[in-house]
Amino acid sequence: MATAISVDHLSKVYTEGLIFRRNHKALREVNLEVKNGEVFGLLGPNGAGKTTLIKILLGILHPNQGKASVLDMQAGSKAARRRIGYLPENLIFPRHHTGRSALYFYGRLSELTESQIAAKEHELFELVDLTGRQHEPVRRYSKGMRQRLGLAQALLHDPDLLILDEPTDGLDPMGRSQIRDLLARLKERGKTVFLNSHILQEVELICDRVAVMALGELRGMGTIDQLIQQNPMAQRGTVHVDVPSTATNLETILAEFPIQAMKPVVNNEVLTRIEIAAPHQSDVDRIVDILRQNQIGIVRLERYRPSLEQVFMSIVGSAPPHLR
Amino acid sequence: MRPYFAVLYDSFLESVKSKVLWILMAAWTLVLAGLFPLSLTSGESYRLTRRNFSGESSAKSIMDKLALASAGKGSRAHQAVYEKLSTSFQTLLKQRQENNRKISIGLLIDAMNKVLATKDLYDKEAWPTADRRKEIKELIDAPEKTDAQTEKLNRKLLDLTFPNALTSTDGQATWFTYLGIKLGQPLPLSLDAMRPFIEKGFFPLVMRIGLGIIAMLIAIVITSSMIPDMFQAGSLHLLLSKPISRSLLFLTKFTGGCIFVGINIIYLLSGLYLYAGLQLQIWNEGILWCIPLFVFMFMVYYAVSSLAGLIWKNPIICVVVTAVFWGVCFTIGLIQFFFNISLNIQQQTQKIYAVNDTVLSVNQQGNIFYWNPGDRSWQLAYGSGDGLQVLGPVWIEEQKAIYFGKSSKAPFGMGGRQDVRLDFARTPDLADPADTTFTSKPWEDSRLDSGPEMPSGPKQMMRWKNTLAVFNQDGLFEFDANSTNEERQFAGVSSVLKTFGLGNDKALTGFKPILKSEFSKTSDLCISASFETIVAFRKGDFVLWKQMGETMTESGSLPLGFDKDMVAVVGCNDRIAIVCPNGKPPVVIDLGEMKVVRTMDEIGPKSVKQVVADKDGSIAILDRDGIVWVSKNGETATKPSLSGQGSALALHFTNNGDLWVAHSIKNADCWQLQEQKVTQSIRPKLSVLEMVYRYIVNPFYLANPKPAAVNETIEYMLQKPGNKSIALDRLDLENPKEEIDPWQPIWSNSAFVIVMLGICCWYLYRQDL
Repeated sequence: MATAISVDHLSKVYTEGLIFRRNHKALREVNLEVKNGEVFGLLGPNGAGKTTLIKILLGILHPNQGKASVLDMQAGSKAARRRIGYLPENLIFPRHHTGRSALYFYGRLSELTESQIAAKEHELFELVDLTGRQHEPVRRYSKGMRQRLGLAQALLHDPDLLILDEPTDGLDPMGRSQIRDLLARLKERGKTVFLNSHILQEVELICDRVAVMALGELRGMGTIDQLIQQNPMAQRGTVHVDVPSTATNLETILAEFPIQAMKPVVNNEVLTRIEIAAPHQSDVDRIVDILRQNQIGIVRLERYRPSLEQVFMSIVGSAPPHLR
Repeated sequence: MRPYFAVLYDSFLESVKSKVLWILMAAWTLVLAGLFPLSLTSGESYRLTRRNFSGESSAKSIMDKLALASAGKGSRAHQAVYEKLSTSFQTLLKQRQENNRKISIGLLIDAMNKVLATKDLYDKEAWPTADRRKEIKELIDAPEKTDAQTEKLNRKLLDLTFPNALTSTDGQATWFTYLGIKLGQPLPLSLDAMRPFIEKGFFPLVMRIGLGIIAMLIAIVITSSMIPDMFQAGSLHLLLSKPISRSLLFLTKFTGGCIFVGINIIYLLSGLYLYAGLQLQIWNEGILWCIPLFVFMFMVYYAVSSLAGLIWKNPIICVVVTAVFWGVCFTIGLIQFFFNISLNIQQQTQKIYAVNDTVLSVNQQGNIFYWNPGDRSWQLAYGSGDGLQVLGPVWIEEQKAIYFGKSSKAPFGMGGRQDVRLDFARTPDLADPADTTFTSKPWEDSRLDSGPEMPSGPKQMMRWKNTLAVFNQDGLFEFDANSTNEERQFAGVSSVLKTFGLGNDKALTGFKPILKSEFSKTSDLCISASFETIVAFRKGDFVLWKQMGETMTESGSLPLGFDKDMVAVVGCNDRIAIVCPNGKPPVVIDLGEMKVVRTMDEIGPKSVKQVVADKDGSIAILDRDGIVWVSKNGETATKPSLSGQGSALALHFTNNGDLWVAHSIKNADCWQLQEQKVTQSIRPKLSVLEMVYRYIVNPFYLANPKPAAVNETIEYMLQKPGNKSIALDRLDLENPKEEIDPWQPIWSNSAFVIVMLGICCWYLYRQDL
């Protein structure tokens, strides 16, 4: 599979202050690769460097070090930008435009002819659910409508790579669902989508692979399953066992297994939840045997699998490699 | 280019949709609608205005006569006028007589204008000869006089009553009208005579203040947000993600701003053009040519505003920075102007003259200097510093006297011609004819005499045999150096008489005519070095006088086919004459055959400032571009490689045929033309002020853009430059070249705009956005 985006040891330093110059490292030696046809999610808290990375890919910012290519062309080159559809974060349309005139304006900027724009206009307004509203001034649009119009302009010139910065920001659940469906359809059509979002569920639902950034560093990259499996929480193999709260001496009974936590939970009746490290199936079998031998009922037993959010928090929360 | 046209179209769409364009258009429509009813109308008016009085003294003289009339004295006409004055003014006159109470000229005009309206002013006894004039007789005989006829008759009677105090009028007058209603007092000019004033005075003023300042400020404020708006984070990044160049995006936005302003200027100036044409009957296409010039002027300011917008991304800062830029340009221009006037224009050599080993120069301020080689400076010999032109100096070896006269025309066209005195200095060794040296500091020991008044309106002073000659509109006169002081005193008094047509020229001034002819202010005259030939350019024709016995006799005239008002400079020796008409190639005239032998096409159409000839046939021509041309007896002129070539200011041939060339403000070189060798060089040391000007003020000024200078180009376009030469006269050619190249501000400001836009593009390219 060919590469849609390739980032190699990319660093970016912002210099602030006119007299007392301060440097702020926004990207530190980032390496990244996005394959053609992939839906790739870029995750990270605010200030992680996600937008900086996107701006470098679009040529808006100049990197201090490293290189980046898009669709096998130098990132930021005019040829590369011709094949990119971009939806910026907090998109603002000039107030004098209607939805339609804005679409035509950005279409012309993408070097499309009037007839080419006209040919795609209806399909796109249909796609982003703005049919019937395209003649209204954009200043009357809700944030969701502006976001959908932004998506329409990004798709107008049929780009090979879509770079979407927080595409569902400001959308209601229905709107988000529509965007997800749209991205799925684009994926089916072989388009590469580079998605920057901090809505993890959304990323979990639609992305083939994700990368997690924090403090300008790439902290992890892979499929969501890979990220979870690679996470220490998953590797510890914690098992949750719910037993009646009447059961006593649990620490003694399960002495051969280290109990990580024990807390009361309420589920129709009052229970005690024991969190035990049991990396292997034989360990789980043994725990069941011991509890049964001690006539302790097992109300519920499940192996713990961390959510993407937990994995994200653990990755983001850990100390950066250069400080470890 | 599609994306850039899209940005351009979008800028336009934005201004249309945001209603700014419509609001401005409405404002301009209101301005034009307000202006449109303002018109001019011509008619007859014999009312008195300040212009009819030649000065305070005229008013005083009228009041004196009326005051006398109040006491029953004076002529019958004065008494008739007095009787028709209002009682209040009669009282004022009496108070003036008794208490010396001052009466303003305004009150006198009001009172006299009331007299103009009285029906029965005419009295046969008061004006017994008035009805001999046909025009007045018709008015007197008119059975039922209209108000206008009464006013006309009464004015004619007043003109007869106060002949020297009031200037007569032809009655032509022009009123400003608004919605057909006459505004204020009429201007004593016909409509046709008014138009040039409007074109040369009113239009440039409106353009300079109305458009050059007010409209420009409005344009800067309105467009100040266009570039910063481009940097709104949500819209800029989307623009930059498209396959367009940042620099071109910026330049397109810049062009959009200029087009927006251009639309407004087109609308406003087209309206003004139509207004001037329809209401004032002045179809001046210069107004339309001002459209691109104003857009260009806006571009200069907008380039600054745009750079500020790119750096600070704030419209208010854009306006402030542009205002500061304007202020800096204005201040530097002002400082340079004053330095330039006081150090360059006023100090610039106007004439150079050599007396034996002493070199004299006259500067534009009207001071005469001699060169002190020990001190390397020009020492003031004589001068009042009043800025008046100096006639001479002329050294008369036989008299050991150097003559100079003070002049005829104040700088910058201010003031009028006036009769001038002849001053002369004599060396102390007058008693010893053998001593011909002119000491290095002649002025310290010399005696400065105040001479008599010269013939009216002297144009040039030159040597004539063993005395000097003065050329004026009436002819060429020689000075009788042996006339006594008493005679000169008498001459001074009698010159006043001359204005009333009394006396005779010889008795008048101590000057006797060499030749008499009617010259005009555009004429020029030259005497050959042998004093046997005099040539002149007179009202478009070439005229020659030759020595016939004791007198100079007109021996021929050659029509050159030039306009009567053509200004020309002439130079001659006994064989040929060179006539240099303003703006045309000089012509060589053979004085023997009295015909044009060739046109000096090698010099081309130039304005020539000075032509000098020596005894041996060498002729040097100095044009107003500061270039010196040399010719032998009118043969092909060459441009010798002299230092100061291109900045030459004055020429003078010494007795031994060397050519002094004054150049570069105060420098001068003496050239041996045959060998192209400098025999003497004058380079005065710089004063502190001159150093400050040369090394600080001028470099700043040169580097400083001059957007306001575009106004000069605008005025040039409005004033129809082809008419300019009519106003020139001989002295205008001698004045420092004040007019700038009208297109020079365009080139210099274009360079500034290009540099600024280049910086903007470079900044945008380098900047992380």
